[in-house]
Amino acid sequence: MLSGENNMYRKMISLIILSFKEGVRDRALIGAGLFSLMMMGSALVVVSMFMRDLDKVSVDINLSAIAFAGLLLTFFVSINLMAKDIDKHTIYCVLSKPFSRSQYIWGKYLGIMLLIFMAFCILTICSSITILFIKSQYEFYFKSFSWIEFYKAVYAQLLLLFLLNAVVVFFSTITTSSFITLLFSISTYLAGQTIEEVVVFLKSKNAMDMPLSESINAIIDIAQYILPNLSVFDLKVQSAHAITISYNYLFAITSYSLIYSVILLLSASLIFNRRELK
Amino acid sequence: MSKILIKKISKSYISDFKREKKIAVDNISLNIDTTEVFGIIGRNGAGKSTIIKMIMGFIKPDKGDITIDGKIPSDPDSRLKVGYLPENPYFYDNLSAEELLKFSSTASGLDKEKARKRIDKILQQVDLYSVRKQRLRTYSKGMTQRAGICFALVHDPDIIILDEPMSGLDPFGRKMVIDLIKDLQKRGKTVLFCSHILNDVERICNRVAIMDSGILKGIFTKQEIFESNGMEELFLNVVRGK
Repeated sequence: MLSGENNMYRKMISLIILSFKEGVRDRALIGAGLFSLMMMGSALVVVSMFMRDLDKVSVDINLSAIAFAGLLLTFFVSINLMAKDIDKHTIYCVLSKPFSRSQYIWGKYLGIMLLIFMAFCILTICSSITILFIKSQYEFYFKSFSWIEFYKAVYAQLLLLFLLNAVVVFFSTITTSSFITLLFSISTYLAGQTIEEVVVFLKSKNAMDMPLSESINAIIDIAQYILPNLSVFDLKVQSAHAITISYNYLFAITSYSLIYSVILLLSASLIFNRRELK
Repeated sequence: MSKILIKKISKSYISDFKREKKIAVDNISLNIDTTEVFGIIGRNGAGKSTIIKMIMGFIKPDKGDITIDGKIPSDPDSRLKVGYLPENPYFYDNLSAEELLKFSSTASGLDKEKARKRIDKILQQVDLYSVRKQRLRTYSKGMTQRAGICFALVHDPDIIILDEPMSGLDPFGRKMVIDLIKDLQKRGKTVLFCSHILNDVERICNRVAIMDSGILKGIFTKQEIFESNGMEELFLNVVRGK
């Protein structure tokens, strides 16, 4: 028997690997991967149909493919991994071992994130090859293209998925149905993508003839603070137009994603500690 | 010395639709000693699995206390030396039996070399060694049950909790599980299990608790079972209140 910190570390690694392996062999992962590769492949054809801005089009299509694959992984593989544990009681297999429920939540989340990180690495390599190929064919259009800005946009997308998966884990702990988790997660994603624009629109003086009541204003303010602002992670436009994304901005969104995820996971742990696993 | 101590536990559920309160376990106390094989028997819905789930910390009793080797179930360390087989086990079906057992042994603190030896040995014992690299989703119900038994025993726990261990097993499988439990008994382990199969319970238990509708009807020793013309007769008499 091992003891102390070393044992704790090995235990957590074993749980992360368990979640990762279960996810990596999920058929939905293959589907998501193939779909994204097809999208990237289609970029080769689509780009040839444009007369100008080929760099922007190819960057946009590739980043969209990566983002879409990430969302598919989150909404199908991650939710399935969490829901299956509770629906089919595979969770007993973990919790019958000396794991606390908080450790289970963190181990599961990190396993899912490892899976998404690996998938992202593969997709980024495929994307880079696609862009390289298009670049070699249409060198003239790629004068302002920047690899660094492209990878910064990919990184921001990864940060979004860190946060979105924490949302999935959070909803998995408070609901008993994978459908409800899916519904809440997609709603959070859509609200998170649009909340900033909606708030700006509603609060602009020209938006409506009548001013908003105080209670509506308060609700908007609360929603703005509670819902994650996911639009800050969308850097496709900047990357496509080779607009420099500052490292300060990257640091800010990294902190935002981490802090928000940690808060969600701590809340999930608290809720899950009280949950009955019948 | 008690390995598992249950003091006056009660548990009730609220049904989802009618919002009615259903008592699953009512004021039960049990005391399971070291080196004892203790069986819990009862009809469906008697509360057997609920007791086991409370011992494992999956659900919390409304009232009463449980300790496993002196530790409360919400303490993860209480499960360090516990092996558990759930009823109708369902494991991560994209993993192989070998991968599942590696997880079980690492999570229970076994070092790599010791774990490898234990995994090979136990897979051979339950006749799954040749299919150890196959994914669990390709296993039959009996094979999954045997993989579950390996999962519970691979780290050589001191306390073994088995929920319907004979479920889905053919006569050969049942004999194998009985032999395994007898071997555990010889090695001084504490075994708690619940089952519907009265003959098996009679053959391997030192003491048996009979439950009905969440109530503990009585605890009987091997001698008492023998004197009552066997387990079946005793069970029917106790449940019918004779």
